[in-house]
Amino acid sequence: MTVMWDDHGARFPVTVLQLENCQVTANIKTVRKDLSEYHAVQVAATDRPAKTATKQMLGHFKKAGVDPKRIVKEFPVTPDAHVPIGTTLSAVHFVPGQYVDVIANSLGKGFQGTMKKWNFKGLRASHGVSVSHRSAGAIGAHQDPGRVWPGKKMAGRLGGVRTTTQNLAVIRVDSALDLIFVRGCVPGIDDAHVMVRDAKKKMISVARVNHAKGDFDKLLPKGILGLPFPAGTKEMAKELPSVIEAPTHRRSPFLPIS
Amino acid sequence: MSTAAQPYPFSSAAKILPPPATPPPAPLMQGKGLMQYLTQTLPSPDKQKLLTTYFSRRHPLRILPGSVLTVMLGHAPTTFSGVLMSVRRRGLDTSFVLRNVINRTGVEMQFFVMSPHLKNIKIMQRAGGGGGKAGRRMRRAKLFYLRDSPEKMSAISAGVRG
Repeated sequence: MTVMWDDHGARFPVTVLQLENCQVTANIKTVRKDLSEYHAVQVAATDRPAKTATKQMLGHFKKAGVDPKRIVKEFPVTPDAHVPIGTTLSAVHFVPGQYVDVIANSLGKGFQGTMKKWNFKGLRASHGVSVSHRSAGAIGAHQDPGRVWPGKKMAGRLGGVRTTTQNLAVIRVDSALDLIFVRGCVPGIDDAHVMVRDAKKKMISVARVNHAKGDFDKLLPKGILGLPFPAGTKEMAKELPSVIEAPTHRRSPFLPIS
Repeated sequence: MSTAAQPYPFSSAAKILPPPATPPPAPLMQGKGLMQYLTQTLPSPDKQKLLTTYFSRRHPLRILPGSVLTVMLGHAPTTFSGVLMSVRRRGLDTSFVLRNVINRTGVEMQFFVMSPHLKNIKIMQRAGGGGGKAGRRMRRAKLFYLRDSPEKMSAISAGVRG
């Protein structure tokens, strides 16, 4: 994570994400029992040595014609958006100014008490409270129901679970190093693997509603003319500028509201 | 297709920045040493120089806490002078705090070195390493005790004018 200053001189934090040799390994089409179709593009990332990969995965990567990878993930798409197998994706797939959801495993916090895990208020610091200032207190009623409800909030393991941070703005894209700078923080530890998708709330939902209304100018966020379709590849990156940055749409905090 | 008319067809508002002068070395593609490389390449050369000289940990020209600095800003107040109380070194996020007494009111301001508003830093009086001719040496990295001792603040400010 680092920091950047926008055109007005306001400081904002950014997280640097890097694409490590992301290649398309399969185009999936599944026909469900009710005859509707599920289409997806399977992407694999981060090379791994062949001796640490299982035979099953080695066979899968050999069929796709790519080197063995650590992570294999699927992204649901429309039927016209399949990408040729073996294409290497690039950071230019994301357009500065668009919004993304970033999904990763959150930081593990171990066994945590109810105050941290569930925002319980604990007990008083003084006035006779003995040895239970941070405890949960009572966990049920009396004879009725005479048991503890299932799902009672209690102390336990916190963190280390799949978490989504939504609607992060893409600030800068660098195709020489395949870097994506997103505004704000993302879940997880440094150098962890994350999944980056178009924002469901600020991109997909907005586009769907405006498309239904017929408002074709407001399908994409301000300033964005289009997105690479079906994907931003290395070949596309060669023809585009190397470093692209999004200007801020916010007002300057240094000038009075006129 | 990249044409002069529309080099980046996906956004009308996007800024196109110049590519780096030298192509990045291969280990950076696996993320090795990436954040250090960004700290060295993202800011302009003048700002980089500030980080490597004035705000480094070991450079002979580094500014020690207890120095008196004047900072020129792009927004009000356009200049601010004060005693350097602390330097928070975090690469691009490096910042420092100056303390001054203005109209009998203690005023502290935190300045971020990489901010585009920070135009210039002038050193009015250096706090030396050995004391004496080089200047008084502070025995602390963070001089927050100055908040409780106005007499020490006056001693430092007397040295500037004298």
